[in-house]
Amino acid sequence: MNFGFLVGVFGVLILSHAAYSTIQYRGLLKIMEEEFSRPPINVILELIIGLALCMWAALTFPGKFLSIHPDSDENRAVSLPDNSDFMIFNHRGRLFPPEIDMKF
Amino acid sequence: MVTKTEETQLNQLEIQVDNGGGGAWEYLCLVRNLKIRRSEKVLKHGSSILNDPKKRSALGPDEWTLNEQVAIAAMDCQCLDVAQNCVKALQKKFPGSKRVGSLEALLLESKGLWGEAEEAYSSLLEDNPLDQAIHKRRVAISKALGKPSVAIELLNKYLELFMADHDAWRELAELYLSLQMYKQAAFCYEELILSQPTVPLYHLAYADVLYTIGGVENIISARKYYAATIDLTGGKNTRALLGICLCASAIAQLSKGRNKEDKDATAAPELHSLAAAAVEKEYKQKAPDKLQLISSALRSLKI
Repeated sequence: MNFGFLVGVFGVLILSHAAYSTIQYRGLLKIMEEEFSRPPINVILELIIGLALCMWAALTFPGKFLSIHPDSDENRAVSLPDNSDFMIFNHRGRLFPPEIDMKF
Repeated sequence: MVTKTEETQLNQLEIQVDNGGGGAWEYLCLVRNLKIRRSEKVLKHGSSILNDPKKRSALGPDEWTLNEQVAIAAMDCQCLDVAQNCVKALQKKFPGSKRVGSLEALLLESKGLWGEAEEAYSSLLEDNPLDQAIHKRRVAISKALGKPSVAIELLNKYLELFMADHDAWRELAELYLSLQMYKQAAFCYEELILSQPTVPLYHLAYADVLYTIGGVENIISARKYYAATIDLTGGKNTRALLGICLCASAIAQLSKGRNKEDKDATAAPELHSLAAAAVEKEYKQKAPDKLQLISSALRSLKI
């Protein structure tokens, strides 16, 4: 499996570890009967690192992004579908049927 | 609307399948999704799949869709026995089905039995009078019999009921153009642009019709729609670029007698020179041996 996927897994693990530490910290504060305003500095740092890793993995893992401009070179309209609801069969090609043998 | 990537993919698959590589089923699916008319190739590769019992059973329930596709392709190539066999197989599998019924009527059409086909369609219409495909086939019958006015009448009645069917509006526009009724064709293209403003080919066709009708106001509008086409295709549509150059010379000629302010308002010289430069660049890239011709043609247009 490629590098982006591993980085993504690592980022998710870091985020879940940060969540677990925050829960533990809150439990500690409840014992000491203090207010919970924000998680400690190292957890915030862990959150930022986890965010950066997950974003990098999300952008690199899925592969090539498709163009969304309607006038870009890949998406521009080249032709319209041939109107097959109104297709008629008496054209000149009628006189040159291809040789098809069939066994079904 | 077929995009450039789809077109290249289709061509690649076509070359691959023609030279004996695999991928016939993907090619057939792509042709069916893009609704393109490649009847000979569909017939050849589709019947090769259907002839081989292993490949046929590998398809599963898609076998019947393939039967339908090959039947229509065979009718288009006038291989009527192949078409008859496919329709018979479908009849055995789905007896009393309306879709198979309309395929049978289509087979009568391809055999040239217009009267019987018309009767078959009328009887199918009695059962469900709001079937869009059958109405459209009746229009196609009149078109094939060489009666475009009857076809136009039928199509107008159909469009009163189903105003949102843009294929029908396209067909009506083409019928009017074949009878040189340009104003009515312009109306049809206006409807198409209203319902699908992001398809550049409708803008292009509308601009062509306006240019054909003539008159300074129409040619100024045509120039606007050519410019819209260039905008929507990212500048890659050579026909729109040439259209702007032709509009420029037509406006210059027609407004010779007018006074100076009117002429300045309609002139847009930067647009013209940019379009001419873009045309020359395209020719240099794609057809360098014809660059001389196009440069001299553009120079003569400036006069």
